[in-house]
Amino acid sequence: MDQLNQWLAGLLEGNVIFTPQTLGYYWTGLVTTSQLVFLSLIIGLVLAVPLAIGRSSRHRWVSLPIYVYTYVFRGTPLLIQLYIIYYGVVFVEGIQDSMFWPILKEAFYPALIAFTLNTAAYTTEIFRGAIKATPRGEIEAARAYGMSQSLTMRRIVLPSAFRRALPAYGNEVIFMLHASAIASVVTLMDLTGAARFVYARFYAPFEAFIFVAAIYLCLTFAILYLFRYLEKRLLAHLKPLGGN
Amino acid sequence: MADTQIPLEVRNIKKRFGDTEVLKGLSLKANKGDVITLIGASGSGKSTFLRCMNLLEQPDEGDLIVHGEEIRFKQTRHGREPADWKQVVSMRAKLSMVFQSFNLWAHMTLLENIIEAPVHVLGKPKKEAVEQARALLERVGLTARADAYPAQMSGGQQQRGAIARALAMDPEVMLFDEPTSALDPELVGDVLKVMRDLAEEGRTMVVVTHEMGFARDVSSQVVYLHQGVIEEAGAPQDVLVHPSSPRLQQFLAPKY
Repeated sequence: MDQLNQWLAGLLEGNVIFTPQTLGYYWTGLVTTSQLVFLSLIIGLVLAVPLAIGRSSRHRWVSLPIYVYTYVFRGTPLLIQLYIIYYGVVFVEGIQDSMFWPILKEAFYPALIAFTLNTAAYTTEIFRGAIKATPRGEIEAARAYGMSQSLTMRRIVLPSAFRRALPAYGNEVIFMLHASAIASVVTLMDLTGAARFVYARFYAPFEAFIFVAAIYLCLTFAILYLFRYLEKRLLAHLKPLGGN
Repeated sequence: MADTQIPLEVRNIKKRFGDTEVLKGLSLKANKGDVITLIGASGSGKSTFLRCMNLLEQPDEGDLIVHGEEIRFKQTRHGREPADWKQVVSMRAKLSMVFQSFNLWAHMTLLENIIEAPVHVLGKPKKEAVEQARALLERVGLTARADAYPAQMSGGQQQRGAIARALAMDPEVMLFDEPTSALDPELVGDVLKVMRDLAEEGRTMVVVTHEMGFARDVSSQVVYLHQGVIEEAGAPQDVLVHPSSPRLQQFLAPKY
């Protein structure tokens, strides 16, 4: 206990590590990580909805290509996907002369593309499972009441599937936050990148990485809380009255 | 010229699943105000027959005429299909169905369940649909449960809610697929009472049921199916009280 107190006192007293400058790095890292994760999740979600519908299609020529896509992106490490996109994009013929180059030469956008494609693949499979689990009777009732296929999808299947997918999707969001740590290997100054910088500068692994771990924990806590709230609101229909 | 006074007519319906022919050419005509009950043992094809009437099952042969309008079919690689799904959709909006397992939409409250199809299929203004839904809920004795989700209601309440949902479509014909078979015995009475009231107010109904009391007291016509064939049909007095076919006599005989 004494030792711990001493260590803490020493940490705060001779504080050369957590200066306004390094805290600034962490702040930049937090902003980059948040942007990267938030944007890739939003775009991934928007892509995943039509992909999941297509993946559930009876027509093989619709569902098979989507299956190949999700299989490839779920079957290879995210780091490899990031390498391929980040290092590979330079070798695409004529890309350096195209209008996209100013964007693609930044590390941020290749990372965003890799993360988006990755989370879209996982989210597609989460939604597909939820769509498949729609009770047959509810779809039959929709048909019996004159709903067209698209109306049934919009009004019955998707609203019920989204709710069912919520807990699994919450996990995917947290997974994505933690996976985003590898963005630092392609020179991005995300949270982990900031921690690595501080570590390298002061050779202080515990201070640098435990501090960043605490920030990740706080972010995770916020995500968990958000999903707990959403589940409470949107999954109310599955609970019997008076239960908890 | 088709007779527009007949809400529902089916002719020579045939259906096979693989090698088994489950419906071997069934015909039925529901005049306005008729209550037709379909009875028969499990596997006799009565539910399949009912489901062919709103094309939840596709009959392999036969005609379907709803309110004078004949449904058009075409042959495809996968068998016979309706030629025009829009026609089927508008036909289904005229025949509402009540299912054995209720099939209320679990993520909606009871009120939302009732207004769903009137608003999104018939295009009714929401306010009007809600007013109508509240009136229907009062009719089936569920005013207090308007905002409950299906999982929060008993089976009997769910089924009465499902009947309210069917009524909200102002259907020409109501199809009931064993509406009381999934209910505890003490809950059956409430549902049958609602159905009896509907029959008395002149609703056209086709009911698949095992409730012989209901068939005898309420229906205008009883149809007995055996292995995909109409074995006997007629007024309940004739069919249920003086059955001529030995199989029907056996079916109706007390089991214990």
